[in-house]
Amino acid sequence: MELLNSLISLTFFAQVLRLMTPFYLGASASNFSERGGVINIAIEGFMNLSAFSFVLFSLLTGNITAGFILAVIINLVFSLVYSFFTVNLKINQIVTGVGFNLLIAGITKFLLVLIFKSSSNTERFEGLPDLNLFKSVPFLEIVFSDYLTIFCFALIFISGFVLFKTKFGLRLRSVGENPGAAESLGIRVKSYKLSGILISGFLSSLAGIWLASNQNSYSDGMIAGRGYIAIAAMIIGKWKPVNIFFACLIFSAFEALEITLQISGTNIPTQLIQMLPYLITILVLIGFVGKTKPPAAVGS
Amino acid sequence: MKSKTKINLISVSLSFLVTFVIIFALLLLIDKNPFEVFSLILSEVFASGYGIGQTLFKATPLIICGCGLAVCFHASLFNIGAEGQLNAGSFTIALVAVYAGDLSFPVMLILCLVCGFIVSGVVGLIPAYIKIKKDVSEVISTIMLNFIILALVNYFLVDFFAVKSTMRTEKIVDGNMLFKLSDIFPFFQGSSLNASFFIALLLAVVTYILIYKTQFGYKLRAVGFNETASKYIGIKTNKIILASFFTGAGITSLAGINYILGYKGFYEFGFSNNVGFTAIAVALLAKNNPIGIIFSALLFAILDYGGLSVNQLVPKEIMLVVQGIIILSILGVDRIVNNYFEKRGLV
Repeated sequence: MELLNSLISLTFFAQVLRLMTPFYLGASASNFSERGGVINIAIEGFMNLSAFSFVLFSLLTGNITAGFILAVIINLVFSLVYSFFTVNLKINQIVTGVGFNLLIAGITKFLLVLIFKSSSNTERFEGLPDLNLFKSVPFLEIVFSDYLTIFCFALIFISGFVLFKTKFGLRLRSVGENPGAAESLGIRVKSYKLSGILISGFLSSLAGIWLASNQNSYSDGMIAGRGYIAIAAMIIGKWKPVNIFFACLIFSAFEALEITLQISGTNIPTQLIQMLPYLITILVLIGFVGKTKPPAAVGS
Repeated sequence: MKSKTKINLISVSLSFLVTFVIIFALLLLIDKNPFEVFSLILSEVFASGYGIGQTLFKATPLIICGCGLAVCFHASLFNIGAEGQLNAGSFTIALVAVYAGDLSFPVMLILCLVCGFIVSGVVGLIPAYIKIKKDVSEVISTIMLNFIILALVNYFLVDFFAVKSTMRTEKIVDGNMLFKLSDIFPFFQGSSLNASFFIALLLAVVTYILIYKTQFGYKLRAVGFNETASKYIGIKTNKIILASFFTGAGITSLAGINYILGYKGFYEFGFSNNVGFTAIAVALLAKNNPIGIIFSALLFAILDYGGLSVNQLVPKEIMLVVQGIIILSILGVDRIVNNYFEKRGLV
């Protein structure tokens, strides 16, 4: 009964909205890349990389802003390399993505031991500053407790606008649907794919930064498949910004449920609670998804 | 065909060189002497029978798992789920070995392998099914399944089968263990190298024949090369996708025998130590050729075992960086080399 009460409370719903941030940022990251025709499995690794570099540089420089900027720059550099592999060399995007994920996992584990002398986590740091805009407004206070979440909500409209109302968006989508036709119209296919990937790198960097900031440290394996779940959310949301938002809500709701269950101490075994988000992802992919239709030239 | 082999050799050696240069620079960057590190690895691995034995021991699961992945990769099925698949299968193997311990050794062994194979294979069927029915990339579903399967195995292990206050199953009776090589060759004294190594070699040959010399292998490669075209020449592509996922995932389960039947005698949570992921690099480096996988597995085993010895100088995690760089450099260099030869009409 107590559990039920805590589930239907406003606080729970506020948590759901807040926890949606990394999923939506990741899913949008993936969307911008796929709209240009490039599958970006490396989102997971990119989130991991910027979570780590954000903590690392914030601690090294003692300045959150510097940490933030450096984390984004590092992600953009990696995105550039990713684009070189997939767009210029035309190497299989999925294999490249998995390669990036393994390399980044290796780099972060290595540097974690080398710099922080620990194989599990860094020391604590402050994280992003709180947003005091909604201080003492009951519900919004929890939802919009930081800048990135509020940006994330704005992103629903920004990405919809950019993709469907601007020349850039139209061209990016045409590159993803039919690069040959786009090229014959004089569109620089490679530059559009590159910019899709760079936006992707930027947004996934924000997702990683939010996660690190949320737990005030970096720990090994902390992304825990959220990058892949974000890609699943993009598929379920059929590559449309608003639909993706609702798909992300499903996943953040189950993450909030997982947290609530763990705190309330039910007799459900912890392993089964922990596998909940992943099980839901699979079930949603099997059950709710009709025939999905990615941008026509995705993957080629 | 011959020039293809030559190009492959060129690109593999070039990507080694690239990896070597990057790691060399990285070591200099963090103020370590690269020569000291490299020589320490080589001396640890090759100076004693123990070192060689341990390296071959570490190569064994990589060969097996790499072969399983090669089957999937040849069909262009990018199976990232080996870690979950092999844990499900290995857990089964350990349980069968304990509960069927009274049977005669060959019967028990075959029963173990068959049961492990089937359980892993069935786990592999899930992403195949989702791919066929819902067109969802196997990469996402296999990653999700890794988390799910590991949690489930952990749950069944801890709540039902584990020896009290441990994370492992009961021990298999000594008579049912595979023989250690050090029992026959004192050269390997003290190392854990066991008969699984020969099973792995045999499996590599069998997988090679399966992929390159059978009708199934032909169809599998055809689907991997061009699914639409395969459909039009009458190959039942969905069946091939299911079958290759089942076979590939099934093979990965056998990676567990090295640890369970050859070394410790029980399944322990976390025993696999990310073999399922390292094997991706192993298979890619060998260009999914099972015979090549033997050699690339040996290379990664040298890195893995040698990595332990350099831990005092550099964190052993540097070997994970090496793995990642090898994957990306083989991908990049291979494409650049191929482009180069194609432009000059040499292929």
